[in-house]
Amino acid sequence: MRYLDKPIAAIHAALKNKEVTPYQLLQEAIAQIKANDCNAYERLTIPSEEELMKELGPFEEDNLLYGIPYVCKDNFSTKGIETTASSNVLNGYVPVFDATVVQKLKDKKAVMLGKTTLDELAMGGTGTTGHKGITYNPFDPSKKRMVGGSSCGSAAALANGDCCFATGSDTGDSVRKPASFAGLVGFKPTWGRISRFGLFPFAPSLDHVGYFTHYVEDAAVLLNVLAGHDDMDFTSSYVPTEDYTVHLHDGLKGKKFAVIKEIIDSVDDVYNKAKFNALIKKIEEEGGVVECVEFGEELLRSIYATYIVISCAEATSNDANLDGIKFGPYYGGNSYQEVMMNARTKGFSELIKRRFVIGSFALMKENQEDLFLRAQRNRAKIVEKTNEILANCDAILVPAAPSIASEFAQSSDKLSSEYLIADNHLALGNFAGLPSITIPLALENGMPLGINLMSKAFTEASLLSLAQAVEDITGLGGLSAINPKEGNL
Amino acid sequence: MNFEPVIGLEIHVQMKTKSKMFSGSPNSFSHTPNSEVTPFDMAFPGTMPRVNKQAVINAIRVANALHMEIDPLVRFDRKNYFYADLPKGFQITQQFHPIGKNGYLDILDENGNTKRIRIERIHMEEDTCKQLHFPDCSLLDYNRAGTPLVEIVSMPDIRSGTEAMHYVEAIRNIVVYSLSSDGKMEEGSLRCDVNVSLRPFGSEKFGTKVELKNLNSIKNIEQALDYEIARQSACLLSNTPIQQETRRFDEGSGKTVLMRVKTDAVDYKYFPEPNIAPIQLSEAFIEEAINTCPEFYDSKKTRYLTYGLPEKDVEIILSSLDSALYFEKAIQGVNYVKTIANFLIVEINSYLNKNGISIKELKLSPEHLRDIAAYQEEGYSHKQCADILFYCLEHDDCSPAEAKSALKIEKQISDDGAIRELVNQVLEANPQSIEDYKNGKGRAVGFLIGQAMKLSKGKANPQAVSKIMNEELAKK
Repeated sequence: MRYLDKPIAAIHAALKNKEVTPYQLLQEAIAQIKANDCNAYERLTIPSEEELMKELGPFEEDNLLYGIPYVCKDNFSTKGIETTASSNVLNGYVPVFDATVVQKLKDKKAVMLGKTTLDELAMGGTGTTGHKGITYNPFDPSKKRMVGGSSCGSAAALANGDCCFATGSDTGDSVRKPASFAGLVGFKPTWGRISRFGLFPFAPSLDHVGYFTHYVEDAAVLLNVLAGHDDMDFTSSYVPTEDYTVHLHDGLKGKKFAVIKEIIDSVDDVYNKAKFNALIKKIEEEGGVVECVEFGEELLRSIYATYIVISCAEATSNDANLDGIKFGPYYGGNSYQEVMMNARTKGFSELIKRRFVIGSFALMKENQEDLFLRAQRNRAKIVEKTNEILANCDAILVPAAPSIASEFAQSSDKLSSEYLIADNHLALGNFAGLPSITIPLALENGMPLGINLMSKAFTEASLLSLAQAVEDITGLGGLSAINPKEGNL
Repeated sequence: MNFEPVIGLEIHVQMKTKSKMFSGSPNSFSHTPNSEVTPFDMAFPGTMPRVNKQAVINAIRVANALHMEIDPLVRFDRKNYFYADLPKGFQITQQFHPIGKNGYLDILDENGNTKRIRIERIHMEEDTCKQLHFPDCSLLDYNRAGTPLVEIVSMPDIRSGTEAMHYVEAIRNIVVYSLSSDGKMEEGSLRCDVNVSLRPFGSEKFGTKVELKNLNSIKNIEQALDYEIARQSACLLSNTPIQQETRRFDEGSGKTVLMRVKTDAVDYKYFPEPNIAPIQLSEAFIEEAINTCPEFYDSKKTRYLTYGLPEKDVEIILSSLDSALYFEKAIQGVNYVKTIANFLIVEINSYLNKNGISIKELKLSPEHLRDIAAYQEEGYSHKQCADILFYCLEHDDCSPAEAKSALKIEKQISDDGAIRELVNQVLEANPQSIEDYKNGKGRAVGFLIGQAMKLSKGKANPQAVSKIMNEELAKK
């Protein structure tokens, strides 16, 4: 087994015992990155041995992230490293500052190996709309199935075994859905728990920093580093942080889970349902209590429309800064209007323009009441219902996706009349800003399936302990294409 | 037919804070373009707004001075539009929940009567960047981008150019004296947009309004309005419809000139700023902001009048904040306020005017002015003290004591008894002159006074000598 397949704490112990050196870890990663044919990277940032040792300095016993390789979604600002968010509108843009998350990881001597691809500007869920084309799923050698998006490159890199963790961003489900398709742990804590400073915004009221790991315990280790107030992000929380690893192994005795009936009902995949029920049985065997609750079908069906209206409205405003004047490609023009029009016409793909039109339309004076404000009111209703359910349990437990990753031909980011509750419910966690984590459940013909847990605001420690218990049941911690597992269920 | 002008003002005030409205960039009005810019000011992706606490405090103070209801829940919104000077493609402002609303300001109308102007709202927002247009290109200076602004919107209660001028003066005094802003119209730190329409007296309906811009002095406001009221009145009398348009004031001709005709209003697609969670201000915070507010113009004026200064003098001292602050330092702990005020109003002001400098550049400290005035209180003549003052102004770091000894200025004898003694000495020594006086030779008095001055070695107060000499001669 490679060192990179182990939990971060175990790698740290190996570094401490001098079983392995940081450079050997890096070489393991390089070998795997070279073999990665999934189009996961915008660009590589692999240091030379000399650079690595200079950056790292002497071994730090109390720093679990020392020398740990990771990859970073290309919508995090990285000082001196071109950052495009996989959009032509930002080709050549080299930021002058690091995102807070990037800075914290740098301070902790984690080693960034590359910037990963995404759906253009993080808008999309297929991993197909970035300016470098389709990103593939490492679990599918035939390259027919998607890895999901928008954090497609981060998911593909980690699922390929290139490193120990990968940063992502999650506005609707952009970390937690691809995690399900790629057999990974995908986690986003409470809105405000991790600073968003330096994350290119898509829809700030829904945007979360999230990340992928191979193990639940790694998610806790990372939260210890990334959580906390940041003066640069006015929405970051002052709620005190804690040691998120302490309660990891508290177990399931007396823990209450709510399963949302309408979401289960909308899963057609018999295999997925069977594995999900097997998990519930195991949870109950270990002293957990699982209850089925109704959310309200109409409310659940309204999630996507609500999400599209709010996220597109915010996006059309956030991305108004991409006008060709200050950064990114400049195409000229005889007036400022022409300069902007040229940059935005050539810089954005059709799908992005489509979202801007939707967002702009929803914000127009004559439409605000009927679209934007109505969506906000509906969001409040959905949040209220979610919190009502959570008031009576420790977590909501649901399948993360209706099935394994679908084939490219069957998916599109355009709005369609076909609607599946089980395909869109993860946005509940964004509407309410709640901590939410996807964990591998089982494999179906070699392709991963995942479940999702969501809990009350700022109860990350408890949520991670429940996730750890699920991981202990499934036995899928450490899963990747190069470290295949069958699972216990 | 006579028409009633209906005037409303929107005033943008740049706030004096250490940093910008939503970024840590310095806010010091540097003249080197693009030298005071953070990634936020240029809207680099991933940057986020941080609310400037001092700007909120300033806004509360101004709102309080305008008798407004202060909203303790501070919220911001986005105003979306594309323009070259707008880096983010939106401006962060307070469309839905201004920090202050429903206030008023009492001003004087043409006849000197008090008139209440209602104020609709005051809200915080950020300035845009500055555009410099050249024949072949346009340049952008981001120093101004993000400068904190408050916008003060009046109700259409103003009825003449003079009232508008008084209103702006009063607003300027509030923002300047609360140390919220420089309030310099000529430099753009206080900018006025004026809406004006006419209607027949007695009519409730508003006429078509015209917006006036480019009013960069208080005087211009009055002039522009007087012109515009006359222009609109002429249009109405000749049945020429008034267009809804924006006009700018041309200082050279004293006329308003068409800038653009207003088409349908732009849809700014306002929505709440998602990157700033609403900020709940505590009652204590608001109270503290108000209680620690520097003293306003009106309160200073009332106080100065209690010193026994004439109103005209008080207004001269208060004509600039710097002069008021200088005055207050100078009068600290003494009761000869009037003497100090006289030197400030006469000698110092004439020196400033002659040399074209501001009181900030004055070489004489307020403490030294106080020392000089103290000499006059001790019995030195006003002229002697003025000499000391000018000597100090011409010599860097020269204290009044040093100036006095350099000028060999000595105290005059003005004590009645001492002078009478001198006078009698002279009279005894000059009996002939007494005779001459009795015979009607006027010159004799002058001679005798000269002798007395000589005897005192010039230290006697000439007025006192003259008075006592005449008294003593009359006895002879």
